[in-house]
Amino acid sequence: MLTILATIFQPMSAQAAPPLSVDNATLWRHMSGALHQSLYRVLSLLIAVLPGILAFFIAVGVFALLGLILSWLLRRVLALAKFDARIARYRGGADWTPMSTPTAIVGRVCYWICILAGLMIGISAFDTSYAAAGVLPAPLLPYFYRMVGAALILIAGAIAARFLARSVLIGAVNMQLQYARFLSLGVKWLVLVLTAAMALAHLEIGGPIVEIAFGILFGGIVLTLALAVGLGSRDLVSRSLESHVVRYTGEGAERTASPPGESLRHF
Amino acid sequence: MATANPLPGVEIASVPAAAPLLALLAPLPNEQFKGVLANLSACADPGALLIATAGESSTDSIPAFRVVAAPATKFSWILTAADFVNAFQLAQEHHARAILMLGPESSSLGLPGLRALVDSVAGAAADLVLPCYDLPPHAGLVNSAILYPLSRALFACPARFPLAIDLGLSLRMAERLAAAAQRLIALNQSTAPLWPVNEAAAAGFTISEFGAGPRFLPQPAEPDLSTVLPLVVGSLFSDIEAKAAFWQRPRQLPSPRNHPHAGPAHSPDPATDIAPMIQAFRLAYTHLQEIWSLVLPPNSLLGLKRLSLTEGAAFRMPETLWARIIYDFLLAYRLRTIHRNHLFGALIPLYLAWVASHINVTASGANPEHHIEAAAAFEIEKPYLVSRWRWPDRFNP
Repeated sequence: MLTILATIFQPMSAQAAPPLSVDNATLWRHMSGALHQSLYRVLSLLIAVLPGILAFFIAVGVFALLGLILSWLLRRVLALAKFDARIARYRGGADWTPMSTPTAIVGRVCYWICILAGLMIGISAFDTSYAAAGVLPAPLLPYFYRMVGAALILIAGAIAARFLARSVLIGAVNMQLQYARFLSLGVKWLVLVLTAAMALAHLEIGGPIVEIAFGILFGGIVLTLALAVGLGSRDLVSRSLESHVVRYTGEGAERTASPPGESLRHF
Repeated sequence: MATANPLPGVEIASVPAAAPLLALLAPLPNEQFKGVLANLSACADPGALLIATAGESSTDSIPAFRVVAAPATKFSWILTAADFVNAFQLAQEHHARAILMLGPESSSLGLPGLRALVDSVAGAAADLVLPCYDLPPHAGLVNSAILYPLSRALFACPARFPLAIDLGLSLRMAERLAAAAQRLIALNQSTAPLWPVNEAAAAGFTISEFGAGPRFLPQPAEPDLSTVLPLVVGSLFSDIEAKAAFWQRPRQLPSPRNHPHAGPAHSPDPATDIAPMIQAFRLAYTHLQEIWSLVLPPNSLLGLKRLSLTEGAAFRMPETLWARIIYDFLLAYRLRTIHRNHLFGALIPLYLAWVASHINVTASGANPEHHIEAAAAFEIEKPYLVSRWRWPDRFNP
């Protein structure tokens, strides 16, 4: 203990006095060393990762080519087997009839399956080389899957939002609601907010902040819509209820039995 | 033109000359059923008629009629696929030489109309015998606005009621319709309407029409247009899409119809208020521009803009504009530009605008049939449809 204290409180004059001006050559040597080490680390990382990147592009390219060949072969085989005609005969005038022919759809699906397989193999190879470089303790692939999942959620949400917004808009216009566009926009943003919150939660970004913000936004939109519809369509609701009462109690019998020439009949 | 036997297990036998006519009646209350039988007995020898009905009705009043039970079907306001299958099966079972189909509320069909139908069927005048009903000016509007003009322009058939519910069918026509009906039933669409005119035209069968006089046409149970319009118009669009190879070929168009009421003008109906319809159209014009612009070309949108600015009394939708609108919606149906339910939802306000225009025309004292016959615009605009059907991506101002 005494030795330590003696070391601490030894007189300054006992030590070698530091130079008042730093030697330029020493400074340059330190900086250069630091730069060299940094460059070395980056180049080492690149050298470690480069095969992975190359493997990624080769895997995607090879599988894309394979997909093209398989798709072409499949189309030829299905055309020879008259697949389109068979499907048309089976389905007749079914409601869901896609724009492309069934053969084209099968070919396209085959091509995209190959692309997806190439992507997965390429990312796996990249992930292995990246992990081997020791840059990240956790593998990259699971997070990539999360990002793909979030992107799919966003795409599905955007499609659903547009579909629902159009449905509400057309329905509201046909019900002659003056605030049809407002209602449609409300529904669209409800779905978009829900989708964004789901995507962020899927990516594990934001934590409880996203949930709270989503709750506030969603609740706010619902409350706004409820107030707008409740205040704006009192007449509509009362008319609707009245017509139901008339229909079930038979009070409208006189109306339905009126001479045909006096009312519109669409059919 | 013969078709394959649509019903496995049912042999198509040769029909003897004295074979009866099969009259398939939609279920009726007993009193009305008796009334129809009385009318039928006045039109034909009861021994030459075989009555088939799914209802529980007695023939005590006219015992000369032979009545057989038809398979029960779901009640509908139109003839459905199941009805056509039943008609053909019964005709095969009982060796009938022709079929008479009387739809719901057939008791309202007058004796002269029924006699004309029976005579046409008994005389084998045509493969398909269709009625021409004498309806009030503001009835059957979907038929007048869409079904009749489309059917006439594309299938070159002047039948005024392509979705008629009282029909006369030859055996081969019934066979073809049963085949088409079987396809619908296989797709679980047994309540979907069938289009006999389109089938007959595509098969090259003969079609004739008779004056049926006034008749009460049953209305759909669900009066909401947004439910029924997609069912009926969607079914017609689907059939047109399936028969594209047929109607795209150029053929001679039917001559203009003679109007039975061309003389005295119909009195305007003061009870019909067009203001809500015009208001619905204007509201839709404000809100549905975005959707209409996906379906309609700029020229039609400009026409609609002009129409939206027109005052109530002068509200007239030009026939050419209406024809183009229907053709563009048909194309959008085919190309799936937007979801089909949205498509028909967006068509409703335009249809209401046509109805308002039609009421204005009739209120001005003009014969409604004259306005409906302006459907000739559909025939004039047919090259537009054919062109866009074949090359939908071409520039279309």
